[in-house]
Amino acid sequence: MHKKQSRDIFLFILGGVVLFFLSGMVDELRVYQGATIAIYVIAISSIILLTGYSGQVSLGHGALMAVGAYAAAVTRIEFKLPIILCFVVAVLLAAIGGALLGAAAARLSGPYLAGTTLALAIGLPSLANQFTVLGGEQGLLFDVGFPPLSLGEEFTQYKWFFWIAGLAALISMWIIKNILGSRYGRTWRAIRGNEVAAQLSGINIARSKILAFTISAGIAGLAGALLSMTIGTVSPSAFPLALSFSLLAGAVLSGLTTLGGAMIGAVVLVAIPEIADVVAHRVGSSERVTTNLPGFLVSALLILTVLFVPNGPVEQHRARKAKHLALKK
Amino acid sequence: MDLLNTFLIGITAGTIYALMAISMVLVWRSTRVVNFAQAGMALLSTYFGYEAVSRLGSFWIALPVAMIGGALVAALVEIILIRLLVKHSSSGPIAGVAPIIATLGLLGVIRSISAMIWGGQDLRIVGPISNDGFTINGTTLVFSPLKLLILVTVLVLMLILSIVFQKTNIGLALRASAYAPEIARLSGIKVDWVRTLGWALAGAAGAVAGMFQTVNGNGTLSPDSIEFSLLLVSGFIAAVIGGLDSLIGAVIGGLVLGLMIAFVLMYVSSGLFFIAPFVILLTVLFIRPQGIFGAKAARRA
Repeated sequence: MHKKQSRDIFLFILGGVVLFFLSGMVDELRVYQGATIAIYVIAISSIILLTGYSGQVSLGHGALMAVGAYAAAVTRIEFKLPIILCFVVAVLLAAIGGALLGAAAARLSGPYLAGTTLALAIGLPSLANQFTVLGGEQGLLFDVGFPPLSLGEEFTQYKWFFWIAGLAALISMWIIKNILGSRYGRTWRAIRGNEVAAQLSGINIARSKILAFTISAGIAGLAGALLSMTIGTVSPSAFPLALSFSLLAGAVLSGLTTLGGAMIGAVVLVAIPEIADVVAHRVGSSERVTTNLPGFLVSALLILTVLFVPNGPVEQHRARKAKHLALKK
Repeated sequence: MDLLNTFLIGITAGTIYALMAISMVLVWRSTRVVNFAQAGMALLSTYFGYEAVSRLGSFWIALPVAMIGGALVAALVEIILIRLLVKHSSSGPIAGVAPIIATLGLLGVIRSISAMIWGGQDLRIVGPISNDGFTINGTTLVFSPLKLLILVTVLVLMLILSIVFQKTNIGLALRASAYAPEIARLSGIKVDWVRTLGWALAGAAGAVAGMFQTVNGNGTLSPDSIEFSLLLVSGFIAAVIGGLDSLIGAVIGGLVLGLMIAFVLMYVSSGLFFIAPFVILLTVLFIRPQGIFGAKAARRA
């Protein structure tokens, strides 16, 4: 166990080093997309933790991301704290929001929970218009500042975003992986498998579910703060219902129970607008088709995945391999 | 006067939510799926209605066109999507969330297809009669002939629906298949087709809700309009308040929700447009998790 862990640490660090070197070799747009992928990886893994492991569906993660983003921006503007502390505040506040939501969620199941969080996702961003400190419809500026001079003259802003987001993604994946491998991860899986049996073996169902919601919300808050970092502003329109849907789609595409698959979903989410663009260009379609094609593709992919690869590509591949091996014997 | 105004606005909005909730309940009873695409299907049917209004010029022809269109779309969805879903994704860790995810995906597909066909801009549907308020003793109410008409039409439709459910063989088949599918099948009811029928009825009810929601609002129609987001959330909330399993519950849930939203907007703050339904939902779920009319066992989704 110990050996495996140190190997994992090594792999994570190696992955980070490779990514950082890669960021120096591609153009600005790719670097920006890389940052977006890293942010989606974080957000998707928060959903995998919640839905795949503890079996709770949340459509409100867009709203929780908004909580994190606003928390970071407000601390940055009002208290001028260093950027890392802003992210910490984002995680903490989103986690508190998640704990409250989780307390309500622990009493609900399946479609009830989904509908409640859906109502939240639609409702919460509009609350920003109620408080002047949140800047209304225009939102707030969120400026993480220039990259430190020690990184050299040519070090661009986008590369700086990528470094921050990439590092955050590596660290949060590492933490999630360890949580899922711990007692808590097993507890959640037990609850998802059979709630009554889990209760019989002494698991406090409500408390575990709230814990899952809290952790997941904290991670989502981090993703939200990072997302608004790359956009430069925080406004209600940055966190539409479509964001919550895309995240869920990303998680389903990744395979709800395979954390390592988060990468697949994130890459697909970033690639789809590009693919849609190419397709629309080829076909020479009108503007209204072009603007709505990405949304259509994400939703269609979501349905197709649920119908034909319900447990995600990674799990599917694993199952097929296992079957193959069994046949050989 | 404010009180009366708010009450009448709330009741009118409430009947529309009630229709939406009825369509959620019909779907839930026939296939045990909470259909998050219901508002999307209502949106699509309203676009059918828009086409009919702009070609034929009459709201009263457009309404049945929208209803038939909505019923057909819903029946197709049940036959193509839901049957496949039951066949493919009813085991493994995804089983519990698969219907939710699939209907959400459907919502996205319908929204983006509508936006592709009709564009994102606002289209106008002109109501059958004036939406200018009645005047009593010199003061003008917000309550208008149009709102009165909506109220009456919805009540008539509900009456027809309840007669169909209580007095006809089709209604009996619908109730039997929802209550005990195995036994219903044994006694010769084609449960699969009864389910499709349940979806079709829901589609028609949703179409009426969509048409009325549009003319009751500012008369404009777009895939991302506030009216349809509200319909999406309110239909679900009204159904849950009523207990998801009961048609009468859905009606009462819709009315309660409509009234509560109207009063909150009037007396607390008009900015709470979307937060108010959420708070109401949470309050109901905390006090009575199975809804007002739900049986305790119905909670096991």
